[in-house]
Amino acid sequence: MTSTFQAGDPETGVRVAVPLGALPRSGAWFRSQSARRLGFGYALLAPAALYVTLLVAVPFLFSLYLAVSDATVGEQMAGFIGLENFKAALEMDSFWIALRNSVVFFVVAAVLKSLLGTSLAFLLLQEFRGKKLVRALVVIPFTLPVAISVLGWKWMYDSQFSVVNWVLSRLGLIGAYGTDAWPVWLGDPRLALVACILVNVWRTFPFSAIVLLAGFTSVPNEVLDAAKVDGCSFLQRFHNIVVPMIFPILMVGFLFDTVFTLSDLSVVYILTQGGPGNATQILPVLAYQIGIQAGNLGRGAAIALFLVPLLAPAIFVFLRNLKRREY
Amino acid sequence: MSTSVLARPRTARQKETRRLVLIYAGITPFVLVAVFPIYWMAITAFKQDPDLYRMDNIPFWFNLAPTLQHFKTLFYQTNYGAWISNTMTISVWVALITLLTAVPAGYALARLRLPGAENAGIGIFMSYLVPPIILFLPLSRVVALLGLQDSWWALVLVYPTFTIPFCTWLMMGFFKTVPMEMEEAARVDGCGFFGAFVRVVLPVSVPGVLTSVIFAFTLSMQDFLYGLAFVAPGDQKPVPVGVPTELIRGDVYYWGSLMGAALLVGLPVAILYNFFLDRFIQGITGGVGK
Repeated sequence: MTSTFQAGDPETGVRVAVPLGALPRSGAWFRSQSARRLGFGYALLAPAALYVTLLVAVPFLFSLYLAVSDATVGEQMAGFIGLENFKAALEMDSFWIALRNSVVFFVVAAVLKSLLGTSLAFLLLQEFRGKKLVRALVVIPFTLPVAISVLGWKWMYDSQFSVVNWVLSRLGLIGAYGTDAWPVWLGDPRLALVACILVNVWRTFPFSAIVLLAGFTSVPNEVLDAAKVDGCSFLQRFHNIVVPMIFPILMVGFLFDTVFTLSDLSVVYILTQGGPGNATQILPVLAYQIGIQAGNLGRGAAIALFLVPLLAPAIFVFLRNLKRREY
Repeated sequence: MSTSVLARPRTARQKETRRLVLIYAGITPFVLVAVFPIYWMAITAFKQDPDLYRMDNIPFWFNLAPTLQHFKTLFYQTNYGAWISNTMTISVWVALITLLTAVPAGYALARLRLPGAENAGIGIFMSYLVPPIILFLPLSRVVALLGLQDSWWALVLVYPTFTIPFCTWLMMGFFKTVPMEMEEAARVDGCGFFGAFVRVVLPVSVPGVLTSVIFAFTLSMQDFLYGLAFVAPGDQKPVPVGVPTELIRGDVYYWGSLMGAALLVGLPVAILYNFFLDRFIQGITGGVGK
């Protein structure tokens, strides 16, 4: 060892307890070891940085290239074809339906899950017996692997033996099986998108609630009490203290949900594969069908990239937030 | 408020009772909505077919004796056993790769005052936000290039693209909670940087490392797209991909087996994830250690 100071005697190996105050401050030690520290640090960072660069950053750039090429699954060679893929996408009816459905899906789901999530968060803020159990139960939809829970819903939406319809028919809200008054959730173009949105809401409202709860509990009670003493009303406290304090956490939660909801293919793919017709077609499913099933990598990549402008605002807000926060 | 509608409570006890009644009345629908689909899947897995496919009985309990037939079908007539073993093997590899990369990276970013550490941290976290739907087409080329298409090794390669960023971020937060004095004491004792990290910091970070392993596993289980796009042979798929794609054939649905297959693996994962959910939320909101 050739460090600048040594506690104890290096030759005899006897270690002596030295009061920390007697040692140079760790900052000084760090500076004196600068080259070693940097070498060690970058060596530790390198594997993760390389993995992420090679398998996330490079593929992302590669997807930009794919989008302007005529790459297919079978061919190794791909030529530059400019914006043809984007043009072709814009000329597809199914693309416009997918874009519209993606936006509708996202907006409707976001409104519903914020309403449900907020109500649930306020309930979970209260003190009551069995709260831990209740919390563990209500978050199951979020923790269950998505492909698996969607299968459960596919069975609940069965055209003939749907348990949802069993309940509705016993309540007298729908007609008999086989008539027009019997909803075929996944087979009726008017209902299929609603059915898919409901599954997304079911899966993610616990997430909204837990994120909100994490925000609420991060607000120190002392601050609220102090404001109360100073004569702030409930609304003033909420508006001037709670909202600004939980805002960063809310933004992160919102961003995650945006990325997940807009880019998720599993709910729609397992329930309807975009059907009936194109009634539930969304951008991720279309990108998969064109890119892998039809083998047109270039056009698939172009369609997937149309998600970027939809995701960009959320990511921008998040980054600004992250830069401001000292972590 | 609503006090004007209901009779105004007279005593503190009445007030408390009323509060609890309102809370339970509010929370019950949420619990029912969250849990019913899982209950429905579970009971479906144990019902005999004639009990499943009828609408004249009350379907919420067994009208015929429960059966294990669906599970027998699953293990003897499908690749379910292979999917479980694929899932386990993939998870072990992914966890290993994640640990070997994310734990050192988290330490370097949190503790070693590297120039540009903050931006590198943000960069790694940003890569967690690049959704698989944008990466799966270029990655299919990478997978083909490496000759991994049509085998679960493709998933061992691509799952770390989301587990490494998440776990690096998680470990960063974790290492920040380890007191600086511990490393200083190690240096006093003559340890170098490596010694301080391996012999002093790592042993007290076992909980953080275990948390990373759990997330490498649970996050991998949430994937559907990569498995769907990269692994075609029926016996190479992990459970969350195999069940929806192989057990549904044409228009014939074996709902009993399907639900059994889904829950048998899904429920343990959900329960495990449940215990670590707060960590997940802390991880993504950056508030680790608060």
